[in-house]
Amino acid sequence: MKIILILLMLFGLSHANDATIEVIKKADSLPSLAVEDASISYDDTFKLQFFKALIADLNVISIFNVERFHRVTHYNATDVLVENIDMAYVLRYKMFEDDNGALNVEMKMLVEGKDVFSKNYKVSRRNIYMFIAHAIAYDINKFMGEPSVEWMKRKVIFSRIVGPKESEIVISDYSLSYQQVVVSGGFNVFPKWANNAQNAFYYTSLDSNVPTLKHLDLKTVKVKKIISSDGMMVCSDVSADSNTLLLTMAKNGQPDVYTYNLTTKKYKRETSYGGIDVNAQFMDKNKIIFISSRLGYPNVFSKDLKTNAVEQLVFYGKSNSACSSNGEYIVYKARESSNAFSKNTFNLHLISMKTDFIRRLTATGINEFPRFSKDGDAILFIKNYKEQSSIGIIRLNHNKNYLFPLKYGRVQSMDW
Amino acid sequence: MKSIVLSSVVTALLVLSGCSTKEPAVDTKEEVVKPVVVEKVKEVETEVVSNEDSMVDSSSNDSTTLSMSDIESQLPTIYFAFDKFDITPDMQERITSAAELGKTGAMDYKVKLEGNCDEWGSDEYNFALGLKRADAVKKAFVAEGIDGSRISMVSYGESNPVCSDKTQSCWSKNRRVDFKLLP
Repeated sequence: MKIILILLMLFGLSHANDATIEVIKKADSLPSLAVEDASISYDDTFKLQFFKALIADLNVISIFNVERFHRVTHYNATDVLVENIDMAYVLRYKMFEDDNGALNVEMKMLVEGKDVFSKNYKVSRRNIYMFIAHAIAYDINKFMGEPSVEWMKRKVIFSRIVGPKESEIVISDYSLSYQQVVVSGGFNVFPKWANNAQNAFYYTSLDSNVPTLKHLDLKTVKVKKIISSDGMMVCSDVSADSNTLLLTMAKNGQPDVYTYNLTTKKYKRETSYGGIDVNAQFMDKNKIIFISSRLGYPNVFSKDLKTNAVEQLVFYGKSNSACSSNGEYIVYKARESSNAFSKNTFNLHLISMKTDFIRRLTATGINEFPRFSKDGDAILFIKNYKEQSSIGIIRLNHNKNYLFPLKYGRVQSMDW
Repeated sequence: MKSIVLSSVVTALLVLSGCSTKEPAVDTKEEVVKPVVVEKVKEVETEVVSNEDSMVDSSSNDSTTLSMSDIESQLPTIYFAFDKFDITPDMQERITSAAELGKTGAMDYKVKLEGNCDEWGSDEYNFALGLKRADAVKKAFVAEGIDGSRISMVSYGESNPVCSDKTQSCWSKNRRVDFKLLP
């Protein structure tokens, strides 16, 4: 009897933190938080802009029920506003411009009128205010003892199609509020950060006769050619030590996965199936996950780089043509509709390699290009729905999706 | 005691069988954080080519010699089925006629095959699918007697559509391989 009870408890515990199981919606039980604006510089439009960015970020961290009213107060007022008396938390901030034109923000969290957490922020130009909002949300999340949302402060790089064979490569924050075009003119796709510091990136240039992988250093603004291949050239992943690239190349018109050592400048063919092998990403140093058509349709496989053993990882879905992995979890894109065209829907699904559970993460439109954050806390993806292209964030442990629509163009691929 | 053990086992089996469903849980909760006005991608500009440009190269002594763009305009487009890269019999006929041109009027030029896909998916797989289409045309072209060293390939995935309507006929126009000539 005891053994059975222990087994049952062990089963329950082993599945308690399984991200493939839909978490219980706990929105109603979240503590309330109100935001009070005590800014002394800047016009009302900018004040409201910053307030909205901060509210959006506080919503994305998903640990509060955030009050959306913009209410104004004095930074040193001893009491919270009368409307906010019942709030569990009150966040008060003050924006002001210093003599150098820099944007300064002072912030404090109040619980029952007491200051429990405070911090100051500064950026040189007011047009990058959104990074202060992200930093405040990040710090509050950390103060509340929640798992890190480090990804919030990382930069996103994406390729935007603006016309036939015409694209731009853009660096942005995760919410797309800040956007800087770094490569324009021509046809450049599949940007991929070259290192963890995000100060350089790789991309595919399709402007010359042969597709070429290029490297752009953001500090020196120098572009150098890495390697070319007739037909196809994509950098799908960069190793943790930034020294090995996973490439899709097509020697003799045959798309296969290759590893490329940046020190020795030598490449090695890792797959040799006669169909399509693409989209390789490191699972660990010696194991990759990739998409292959070896079943007659695209599906997710893994390969041990030492033993060359190939294993099918996904057994659900009709056309699983993109994937990303983090630890035991795999997120992949699958075609939902049985008919190839009518209401064609591509959704993202999450599986664990330790259980049989499948969790569908999206419900409408074409959802693709999933990418786990480095800590596995969130999934970034591209959503195309009703002629609008957006970047989406899925907070796995909070069961929430957020969409950030692009103003124009279509997101072709991205990395963060 | 026996019955307790039995009922526990039954409960455990029920729990385990309940968890083994392959039906995915659906998360329909999506929050648009920052709605913005949709702006369409710029219309493709059409350039009217002047008569001078489209005339036969006047520097040539042979009045029957055609310019590269003239020959290119005679080369067919090869179309494919959804998610497929095999050549159908009617497309084979087009390749045969293109190969004839490749051996005669276009024999001094190199050929670039551009693979394209419909809009379903902007990932690497689609680029590879476009390339496999170009490669299938290359193999058929070589089988028709064209020197493989004259042929280069590129894939544009779904990024080079000729039609942007949301219809089947439009998508089928985008699943194609174009012939381009290089000097």
